Amino acid sequence: MLISLNWIKDFIDIPESENIHDLANKFTMTTAEVEEVKKVNAHLDIIKVVEITEIEKHPEADKLNLVTFNIGDSTARVVCGAPNVKPGLKVPYAAIGTVLPGGFKLEPKKIRGILSEGMLCSETELGLGDGSSGLMELDAGATLGQSLKEYLNQSSDTLIDVDNKSLTHRPDLWGYYGIAREFSAIYKTPLRDSFNSDWVSSVESKFNDQAAPKNIKVDPSSSCLGFWGVSLENIKVEKSPQWMIDRLEAVGLRAINNIVDISNYVMMELGMPMHIYDRDQIKGDITIKLASDGDKFTTLDEVERSLVATDTLISDDEKGLVLAGVMGGSSSGVNESTKNIFIEVANWKAEEVRKTSTRLGLRTDSSTRFEKSLDLNLCYRSLLRAIEIVFKVCPEAKIVGKPVYDGQKIDDTRQEIKTSVKYINKILGLELSSDNIKEIFNSLDFEVSGDDQLHIKVPTYRATKDIQGQHDLAEEIGRVVGYDTIPIESPKLAVNPVRLTPYKEIERKVQDFMSLNAKSLEVLSYPLVGEKLLKKSSWPDLNVDLQLVNAISVEQDRMRPSLIPSFLEMAAVNAKNFSNFSFFEWGRSYLPNTEKFFEERNIVGLLNYSKTENKFIDTLNSTEKFLNFLGLNYKIQKSSKRPNPLVAANWKGLHPDEMVDIVVRGQTLGAAFSVHPMVLRDFKIKGKISMLMLDLTDFCKKKTTKTHKYSAISKFPSSQFDCTVLVPVGSAADECLSVSKKLKNKDLLSLKIVQVFALNEEFNAVTLRFNFGNINHTLEASVIKSYEEQVMSELEKIGFKLKV
Amino acid sequence: MINKIGSLWESFQEEVGLLEKQADVLNLKAKYIGKKGLISEVMKGLKDASIEEKKLIGPKSNEVKKNIETSIQEKLKDIQIKEMNEKLEKEKIDFSVRDSNLDLGLNSGGIHPVHQIQRSIEDIFLSMGFEVLDGPHIETEHYNFEALNIPETHPARDMQDTFWFKDKAHLLRTHTSTIQIRGMEERKPPFAFVGPGKVFRCERIDATHESCFHQLEGMMVGENINTGHLIYFMKTLLKEIFQKDMEVRLRPGYFPFVEPGFELDIRWKKPDPKDEDARHSGWLELLPCGMVHPNVLKAGGVDPDKYTGFAFGLGLDRLVMVNYKMDDIRYLHKGDLRFNTQFSHF
Repeated sequence: MLISLNWIKDFIDIPESENIHDLANKFTMTTAEVEEVKKVNAHLDIIKVVEITEIEKHPEADKLNLVTFNIGDSTARVVCGAPNVKPGLKVPYAAIGTVLPGGFKLEPKKIRGILSEGMLCSETELGLGDGSSGLMELDAGATLGQSLKEYLNQSSDTLIDVDNKSLTHRPDLWGYYGIAREFSAIYKTPLRDSFNSDWVSSVESKFNDQAAPKNIKVDPSSSCLGFWGVSLENIKVEKSPQWMIDRLEAVGLRAINNIVDISNYVMMELGMPMHIYDRDQIKGDITIKLASDGDKFTTLDEVERSLVATDTLISDDEKGLVLAGVMGGSSSGVNESTKNIFIEVANWKAEEVRKTSTRLGLRTDSSTRFEKSLDLNLCYRSLLRAIEIVFKVCPEAKIVGKPVYDGQKIDDTRQEIKTSVKYINKILGLELSSDNIKEIFNSLDFEVSGDDQLHIKVPTYRATKDIQGQHDLAEEIGRVVGYDTIPIESPKLAVNPVRLTPYKEIERKVQDFMSLNAKSLEVLSYPLVGEKLLKKSSWPDLNVDLQLVNAISVEQDRMRPSLIPSFLEMAAVNAKNFSNFSFFEWGRSYLPNTEKFFEERNIVGLLNYSKTENKFIDTLNSTEKFLNFLGLNYKIQKSSKRPNPLVAANWKGLHPDEMVDIVVRGQTLGAAFSVHPMVLRDFKIKGKISMLMLDLTDFCKKKTTKTHKYSAISKFPSSQFDCTVLVPVGSAADECLSVSKKLKNKDLLSLKIVQVFALNEEFNAVTLRFNFGNINHTLEASVIKSYEEQVMSELEKIGFKLKV
Repeated sequence: MINKIGSLWESFQEEVGLLEKQADVLNLKAKYIGKKGLISEVMKGLKDASIEEKKLIGPKSNEVKKNIETSIQEKLKDIQIKEMNEKLEKEKIDFSVRDSNLDLGLNSGGIHPVHQIQRSIEDIFLSMGFEVLDGPHIETEHYNFEALNIPETHPARDMQDTFWFKDKAHLLRTHTSTIQIRGMEERKPPFAFVGPGKVFRCERIDATHESCFHQLEGMMVGENINTGHLIYFMKTLLKEIFQKDMEVRLRPGYFPFVEPGFELDIRWKKPDPKDEDARHSGWLELLPCGMVHPNVLKAGGVDPDKYTGFAFGLGLDRLVMVNYKMDDIRYLHKGDLRFNTQFSHF
């Protein structure tokens, strides 16, 4: 909201010496954020009246002249192309450095080789109207060297632009009188009591005993809290006086005519929107009631609106006149031929106005204010102020009777809140005296009684929503005293050990392991995905149950059921830039749940890509190490009968062979797999992708720790024994490791594969290494020999022939 | 005789210096200190020496023998080293060819910059006794609005464009303040925690706006917690993040869940003292915060008459952008590894 400092000065004296930036800063620090400070017509202060003394042709250009002129105490010369230059003419001159409207700054510049010391200006260039292209011609009697502002007798105003969001909770600051009250507290200087009882009586003295021409009927079920109306006659609609135009235009409102402008003027001044009708267009009396579903109403902007039963409409006997609190209609507005008017000042339920304006997408100055919960007591003052200004701009006008009212009982009793000096100081961390606190409350128009225990009477205009309890009162004191006066200190609290939660601990383990051991880069993918991506990934579940109603785009209109589609999309981006890469995410998948509506699963996803190599084994190796790192016992199972919750069996993206279930504590918690080339083709990915998807939700609640067991190291040498067996091509090499179970030999310390060698089309040669040993003694050669024989016979028994 | 032994030592030294082969060295050893070697030869004349001479010759000959033996051993080792070095020379590798200058594709690992900053802030608070919590992304109106003193009719609901689900009862959390309520419900004062996490807003995405971003919420509740304590923790946090004392200012800010509510700005640029118009500029709005509203305490099961507390929120993505002078927020979620690898650990 733009605040005019001139306007504010109607109500308060701001110290003359105060720099405007300091003033804005004080407002920011005490009340609400000032976004910008602007001077109105600042350039007119610098532009001077000069008289042309000499004109020469520019030697290089036919249409340009070198114009010399007298500024009063000096002369200067510019290059000028205006047609109306002549000696003796007085014109406005902008020197180098002047910033003209539109932000154009005059720089020293040569025009066709000759330096121009600034510019003689036209009205258009000065932002004073759309005059001809020639120079602005000033009166012959104008004083040389005088600023154009003085010459034009223009008021200079300064505007501060306050962020509307920071006024959301302050209905009283949507009018300049309220803003002035803040400055009064800031500068400890009194607010003028412009609207006191004398003023009220003086306006009321214009009332008479004529019958009010319009009756008002407020239906209590409507959104109306109270409705004041007054009729005036003998109105002459014309252009508003210049002072009113200046003020309105300075704050960005368009001046229309003297009557319409009054409603805007009072709204800006007191914060209460109002509506002025051409009374002759009102047929019969005025009723305020709820609309019916499907009612049509054409607003001032000539748009036909469809109403619902919660909207309130102000109507006469025939038609709707105003959509309550939001916008007037096109039929009853004031125009040039209006003779009689009806001024409405009403107050509306904030929520209802908000509902209507949100539904219709129609935010007006009026609805914005009503939404903030205005004070019903403000209506009558605003009505009187409007009447006062009508008489000012239209002295022949007459009131018909006196204002009429319908609505809730008007109650100006001030709500009382109890607080204490102790409480306020406790919240703020200050040690303010009772007098200090009381003084601040008084400057903000709160009435205070008591000394340590305070009884605060809250002004009605602050009590609509803003000030509800003593915490709100503490804020009033804090902001006026200045938060920068609060001493900064550490609280004195017991010291207790703090640990990471299991969730956080897992998160960190994921990040540490994946980045350092798996050499993978962490990514963040959007939890929101779209149908297109899911279909492109051939993902069987479109997660329609977790769809948003107000998505910004179809690409992000539902929660992702899995990280896999997002991973494929990211891989496609990166496959263009890298021959291989690895990335991971610690993210959530979102699944519908009939009981709880939704379920969030904490998933760690790892993706390995190579243009040429198969990364499945790398992926499995990382998987196993990672599970060890977490301290989880696991099984890697191929083709388990249970469904895998991370990848549906019917997902077309699964590689026919490279796919294993990861089983932890009897539950399938993950899958490691390669992506089917068909799905890769759909993403235009050339190369191979393997992934791990592991659901760690269950371990986010309870701590998992890796436990280490110690056993003594044998002092006696162990003995190795290698043998090579034939494993049919197509079978897993590790199948022959099952021999270790058959052996039931306590001295078998380990059994590992040394190498796998493709022997022929039928068999692979798998070399196994057995390590035998005993903690208590060296194994005798004969014992070892017998173990070797045992190994060979058991291998034969389970179907593995020795390679001869 | 002594002189003879002495000159043998000298001639040995000359000879050994010329040798390069192991066999020659062993021959030389035999020549001098073998059973029929030159030393033994000289010692045969011992019987003719005087008693005084004998006393001197014995030790002298032993000394020379020992020296020759040591010298031989050294020489043999030298020869072996030389042989080994010749072999090593043949096995030479070019160690200029390392991963760092090989095209291995992308071969780096690292944590996302948002999570790096998140973790460092978590650690700062952890060190000051704050727990680290999180909550669900899909929330109810209760946790996201009502409990935070934002009733349905409150204009503050306009300030946050919320993603809603079809059941009209669930939504995507618009702020991490939901964690405040969940945290309070599970604790008894005094307590302190932070809650980092993803939040969602129904906003058009552009270089400075995201529909999904990260916040870190913080809360401390106790019997005498005041605004001065809030500023203390905020200043400490900023000092830890930026590794220097930061000038801050607290000004009124409106958030329904705090009262009094503040905007905390940090001095980001020193204004030019000559520029009068800009003397109040150079502040960066960083942290909305305030004293927890009594209604919020109540919603979390905390008695507002007994306890007070402060709360704050911090935009992590914003902090990353400020820290690295990033110009486009969209890189954070794009997954383009050319971005992520800039923040890798190795």
